[in-house]
Amino acid sequence: MRSGYFKETIVEHINLTDARLQRIWIVIALAILLLAPLYFDFYGLSLITLMIITAIGAMGLNVLTGWTGLISLGQTAFMVLGAYAYAITTESWGWSPLAGFALAGIVPAFASVLVGVPSLRLTGLYLAVTTLASAFIVNHLVLEFDGLTNGSSGIFVNRPTIMGFSFDSDQKFYYLCAAFGIFTILACLNLRRSRIGRAWIAIRDNDNAARVMGIDLRTYKLFAFITSSFIVGISGALYGIFLSFVTVDGFPFLLAIEALAILIVGGIGSIAGAILGAIFLVALPEVSSMVFSLLGDSTQGMFSTSAHEIKGLLYGLVIILFLRLQPHGLMGLWQDAKRVWTLWPLRY
Amino acid sequence: MKLIKTLAAVSLLATPATVMAHDQGVTDTEILLGEVEPLTGPPALLGVAHNLGVRLALAEVNANGGIGGRQVKLVAEDDGYVTSRTIQSVRKLIGVNKVFALTALSGSGQALAAMPVVKRSGIPTMVPIGPLPPLYEPPNDNIFVVGQSYTEGMRQLAEHLAKEYPGKKWGIILQDDDYGKSLGEGIEQAKKAVDINVVYETKYARGQKDFASEMLRVKDAGVEVLIAGGIISENIAMVKEAEKVGIDPVIATFWPGRVPEVLKAIGPASDGIYGVDYVVPMQSEAGKAFLELAAKYLSGDDVKRVNRYTMTGYSSTVTLLAAMKGCADDLTWTCTIDKLQTNPPVDTGVMSPIGFGADNRFSNSKVTIMRANYATLSFVPVE
Repeated sequence: MRSGYFKETIVEHINLTDARLQRIWIVIALAILLLAPLYFDFYGLSLITLMIITAIGAMGLNVLTGWTGLISLGQTAFMVLGAYAYAITTESWGWSPLAGFALAGIVPAFASVLVGVPSLRLTGLYLAVTTLASAFIVNHLVLEFDGLTNGSSGIFVNRPTIMGFSFDSDQKFYYLCAAFGIFTILACLNLRRSRIGRAWIAIRDNDNAARVMGIDLRTYKLFAFITSSFIVGISGALYGIFLSFVTVDGFPFLLAIEALAILIVGGIGSIAGAILGAIFLVALPEVSSMVFSLLGDSTQGMFSTSAHEIKGLLYGLVIILFLRLQPHGLMGLWQDAKRVWTLWPLRY
Repeated sequence: MKLIKTLAAVSLLATPATVMAHDQGVTDTEILLGEVEPLTGPPALLGVAHNLGVRLALAEVNANGGIGGRQVKLVAEDDGYVTSRTIQSVRKLIGVNKVFALTALSGSGQALAAMPVVKRSGIPTMVPIGPLPPLYEPPNDNIFVVGQSYTEGMRQLAEHLAKEYPGKKWGIILQDDDYGKSLGEGIEQAKKAVDINVVYETKYARGQKDFASEMLRVKDAGVEVLIAGGIISENIAMVKEAEKVGIDPVIATFWPGRVPEVLKAIGPASDGIYGVDYVVPMQSEAGKAFLELAAKYLSGDDVKRVNRYTMTGYSSTVTLLAAMKGCADDLTWTCTIDKLQTNPPVDTGVMSPIGFGADNRFSNSKVTIMRANYATLSFVPVE
């Protein structure tokens, strides 16, 4: 029987995987990701695509909030910037989608410097309100510069063609999102185990101690802002393509709240948590709808015609329950289950 | 034998999702239609009313034997006026519920975003809320837009006001979105035909609640004709604020807010407010007949929630059902789309007859200029 993982060297400690079983699970997950289009209709596939896009955005926010401990409500601002950067470069200027994706990351990253520099001395609620303001400023700028952004009319976005390969079908676009998802996971995991990632964690755990250790708080906080915004911008571009239409209305402020809810439910500070949280919260209304449908047509009808309110109630309820009963989210549940499995019948 | 069964089971599991048939949503006993609209939150005022109109049309057709002996049912999905949810709901209706046709795609922005999905699927779709030109110019084979463009409605209203109140000073307050832009274009078009002296013009951010500074500037500029380009709560706030600062310009509003609730909220100051619409006022003979029809098929509570959107939803759905009736023996998307474009215009009595053509997917409905009557909480056509 396995009695736990014991690591004796730094290399072992920072390895991406520490067991053969983990690698097997990763292969299974990749196989599921690869074969999903064969087993899901276009609605199911669009749900999974939305989960992936949401997970990318959540991983971006996780860099800032989960790892560096900086609460941000500016998620929508950077998503909007990413979506518009992609839409303007590819649809208005006719540039390659690759350039569009690059700018979808770079433009929000640059904007985050403008937001980040004045916010470097802020923490907690003060920072949250500052980043919240950025969301309103960005929306206002988008509407004001209508020569560039087409203002409130928005910009239609076609599915991309990259190096001659068209992602015009739902299946192909799903694979594109999956590729971005995998790349984001790898990038985040590698950042997490790098010097920068360790500095972020140190700042989150105790910024005074981090400063004493020689970590330049301002530089690393700014790195966190830039990295987070870059990833969130990419998710914004993918979301814009998913919607096929980029407008400020497509990015309501609720998205920022949802992103935080995803981190809380999944487990703050964990990449797997961000992914699990995204899957959980995107699937929540659908699963609830299925449960309601088992109760009969009238209940199903009630859910269908009050979905928005019921979804809001469910979000609230789930967040309250997780905060009260399982503050470490779904990842906390998983760790508890693993501990029980390893130590049973002993408690410690 | 066991091996063959196993292989058969595996091959069934490995079969990809099948391509949709063109007569989905139709069984021997029923036909399933679907729609997406805001049924919760502030925009529910229009979404619920529209839904009542669709349900009224279905109840009426079902009471008269249905279509080819089949009863017509509706699946309504709430998007909360959020674009991504509109798209998800449309995908769900087409792919999971497998409806035969769509009776609404929520608001104008939402419909625009959902258009690629709807176009790709080929499903017959009616768009009776927010008829924006990009939805029908160029025409899309399976998307039929019912109503009139905001620009054209505003042009006619502005021209009427310019003739009615010549030489007056105008003030224009518009929303900073596509709706406001369309109204602005309508006023610009009217300026080419009539003399309009605009002394004050501004935009406001959607969702703004306080119009104190705007109304003070309206007062300072001596505005005599005010275009209140809000939707519902904004127009209420503007008129109430005008009352507070002691000005009484001629006020003109637009059809999205032409509902009794707005007049109720404004109070007596709403008397005489101009409006424009392509459906008849509720207090007209046709309007009263419509209310009687609603009372016959809907509950008392539902009848209280009937407004102009109920009329547009009803008229649009009746047009769709008429096309489907023409295909009762061969109920396919192709036949329904063909009937929609070749049928004679459908007259529901509450708006001008709705007809389309081979290269026309817009009903281009006739508009009427109206004035509010606070005593009856309704609008009366201007002679």
